[in-house]
Amino acid sequence: MKIKKRWDVFFIVNGKRRSLTIEPHWTLLEVLRDHLGLTGAKKGCDRAECGSCTVLLEREPVYACQVLAVQARGQRITTIEGLERNGKLHPIQQSFVDHDGVQCGFCTPGFIMTANAFLERTRRPSPDQVKQALSGNICRCSAYAKIIESVLAASRRGKRTRA
Amino acid sequence: MVGKSLTRLGAAEKVTGRLQYTGDLKLPGMLHGKILRSPHPHARIVSIDTSAAEAMPGVVAVITPKDIPPNRRLQSDLAVLDWTVRFVGDEVAAVAAVREDIAEAALERIRVEYEILPALFDPLEAMKPDAFPIHPGGNLAGKPIVLERGSVEAGFAQSQHIFEGTYTTQVHCAAGMEPRAALARWEGDSLTIWKSSRGVHMVDRPALAQGLGIPAEQVRVICPAMGGGFGSKDETRMGTLCALLARKCGKPVRLEYTREEEFIAGRSRHPSITHLKVGISRSGEITAIHARTIMSKGAYMSSGNAVIRRCGQGSLYLYRTPNAKYEGTLVYTNLPVAGSYRALGAPQGQFALEVHMDKIAEALSLDPLEFRRRHHVQPEGQPGERQTPPGELVSDQPVEGGIPFSSNRLSECLRLGAKAIGWQRRWHSPNSSPGHQKRGLGMAMGLYRGGLAHKAGAEVEVHPDGSVEIRVGTIDVGEGAFTTLLQIGAEALGIEPSRVSILGGDTATTPEAPVTSGSSTTFSMGTAVKEAATTLREKILDRVCAHMGTSRESVSWNKGAIQITRPTKKKVSWKEAVALLSPEERRVRVEIRPGSTEFVINSFAAHFAEVEVDTETGKVTVVKYVAAHDSGRIVNPVAAQNQVEGGVIQMLGFALTEELLTDLKTGVTLNGNFLEHKVPVIVDLPPLKTIFVNAPDPAGPFGAKALGEPPSIPVAPAISNAIYNAIGIRFQDLPITPDKILDKLRLQERD
Repeated sequence: MKIKKRWDVFFIVNGKRRSLTIEPHWTLLEVLRDHLGLTGAKKGCDRAECGSCTVLLEREPVYACQVLAVQARGQRITTIEGLERNGKLHPIQQSFVDHDGVQCGFCTPGFIMTANAFLERTRRPSPDQVKQALSGNICRCSAYAKIIESVLAASRRGKRTRA
Repeated sequence: MVGKSLTRLGAAEKVTGRLQYTGDLKLPGMLHGKILRSPHPHARIVSIDTSAAEAMPGVVAVITPKDIPPNRRLQSDLAVLDWTVRFVGDEVAAVAAVREDIAEAALERIRVEYEILPALFDPLEAMKPDAFPIHPGGNLAGKPIVLERGSVEAGFAQSQHIFEGTYTTQVHCAAGMEPRAALARWEGDSLTIWKSSRGVHMVDRPALAQGLGIPAEQVRVICPAMGGGFGSKDETRMGTLCALLARKCGKPVRLEYTREEEFIAGRSRHPSITHLKVGISRSGEITAIHARTIMSKGAYMSSGNAVIRRCGQGSLYLYRTPNAKYEGTLVYTNLPVAGSYRALGAPQGQFALEVHMDKIAEALSLDPLEFRRRHHVQPEGQPGERQTPPGELVSDQPVEGGIPFSSNRLSECLRLGAKAIGWQRRWHSPNSSPGHQKRGLGMAMGLYRGGLAHKAGAEVEVHPDGSVEIRVGTIDVGEGAFTTLLQIGAEALGIEPSRVSILGGDTATTPEAPVTSGSSTTFSMGTAVKEAATTLREKILDRVCAHMGTSRESVSWNKGAIQITRPTKKKVSWKEAVALLSPEERRVRVEIRPGSTEFVINSFAAHFAEVEVDTETGKVTVVKYVAAHDSGRIVNPVAAQNQVEGGVIQMLGFALTEELLTDLKTGVTLNGNFLEHKVPVIVDLPPLKTIFVNAPDPAGPFGAKALGEPPSIPVAPAISNAIYNAIGIRFQDLPITPDKILDKLRLQERD
């Protein structure tokens, strides 16, 4: 069997159809960062340990470094760049600003994407539920207390938590 | 503005992913770099054959030690691509290619022949006079330091009890979320480099100039954003390698570390061995404290001198005694390079001190809190005469007695922290709680000489539209420094912060500034910004007076406008006032040397922890934590709280879970990843209360003192002391992992 070296694929990225030719070993993170210019998802470890690259694949949070781009072809992908509407921050983003759920900011897009998918499912979470949901993301500045505050406040604040 | 929780600058850019870190930047024609690292802990490179790598399609350049002019062999941390490699992970060669995966594949085609040399991993072995030298001058990294006040010998002679103990700490990685990255571009002989940095002016620029053999004026360093560094990103070798590759290719090159490289070739906290000896008199006074620390430096120097010095601060200064001595020795080993990491050596030194003092309190049948209340250093400073020769002292870091603190609210930290955790009510004698889940309370103090940079510059310019720009050469490393500096600038000018912006982290557009280290930014840079802003404000007032034909007594600030009472009542808006200045007058640049010869300037803290130890599994759960801090007046309370919470949680990893392990046969790092160098995650967050005494310091800008590093100092000893209180077993070696706890519980049972 011959392995196909190049794939012509498309993704629906932040609501827009994006077509490109990819190689089968490219990860979704590489495609987003290096080929689609979406650098909001960060490469913190490239081995499923830190969560800085979290994006939504069909509304489910995934580590983009662990998804081969070919697996995601034809699917809907939401990145941190796709959360704003008409230049207005998404309620979760606004909540991270208001509650200082940020220090250096490198892990922030990953935390916000994970929180986004979580709040979609859990309308009024307890602090422990927030902790469990975000336990796959690392913040080395350890702004964890403020991150929990931000997510809890967002759950109280907005109807629109869907990406 | 000072004292208000202004929203963190750049927060919107961070939550939208718009903020670009070095690894997010791209330039046209940019190539990707990769580094070949040594598989041996100590070896001489006999030969390198790069022909197969260079022949690969897509490979543009390979650099090896052959590319380094022999006359550019620099000292230790600045030199790159030496013919000798000194740890597993040391740089051997580097490749630039059109794609990162091609560069990586090319590394495997470089053939290197090594002559293996003896490797040393234990500092006690490496410091022996006949040990195989890792560097030409031997294995002592710099002259051991000796700092003394009074005479510890005389102090011990007066004592009734002498307490001795040995304490060790591990290799601990800063592990910022952003693996370090650099992007280099040459235009003729001039280099522009974007990189993760905590000191574009004082660290990277001179180091790159030396490493590349060009004048500093031809080097522009920009740090676009820092994805966490905690002090560890003061390393320039990767920047030099990136620039060398770019020069050889004639194209821009970006070099990014992998997570594993960040662990191995980044900079970690120095492991330490501290021996303490403390004398107590018949009346219970501390007659002498003698601390001796040996630290493994790893293969290269990095910030070792500052780290070893800082390690002694606690022993010399935290407890009142006329006799104190600290001896610190740094030793090269064939381990990954240790460098600066949050509070330098202070957490190591004060872990030893605060566990030791807890033991002494118990031996004297005193509650640990009461012992500290009686003996901590008071606002008037230390008694006793300095013995250390003046030439060996750092002028702004006194050892001698007789100099008071600018402010010292340690007693309030103790009082407020103890109250918040319920110490009086809940502290019990060790190992007295029933069942297999045992609770215990512990505490520790901390002191840090923070805030004093050597030289700090700032520029404040008001534009004709009334907007103000502050330019500083420091970097916001993620802690929020630009937000606090902007608040200080707005306060000094008397205008709304919305009119003010701040620019930093670029050698071309900002005045010389110190490295972001030693918790110096708010104090030193804040003083510079305050002075520049105040000078500008005075100029504006003078101009308005001259223009209106009135005197300074008749003008006052009123909500960002100038109110004139004589000869006629009139209000001059900020914009009108600014229009009176010439372009030169609109810009003020100052350079200051912060500090004081009259006072010792220190920040203080007292931390209290309650833990639960599961005696069946060895697991430690932090049930409650209180951090009380004297950092002067707090400029931005929410950001400050975030900073303290973050410092505490980060150091719970140092206390309980994190250690970078090396195989002592091969020198190979065993756990350069987040799964096995276990940093705290969100589920590890304990209920955490932060308390600020919030009393203004007379020396600091608007009363502020250092804050960034102090929260990291008392954490490990507070946890160790709490574990002792829970199960009656002392832990003097970090980290306190479940296996160590279970081993000691078994011994306890047997006895």
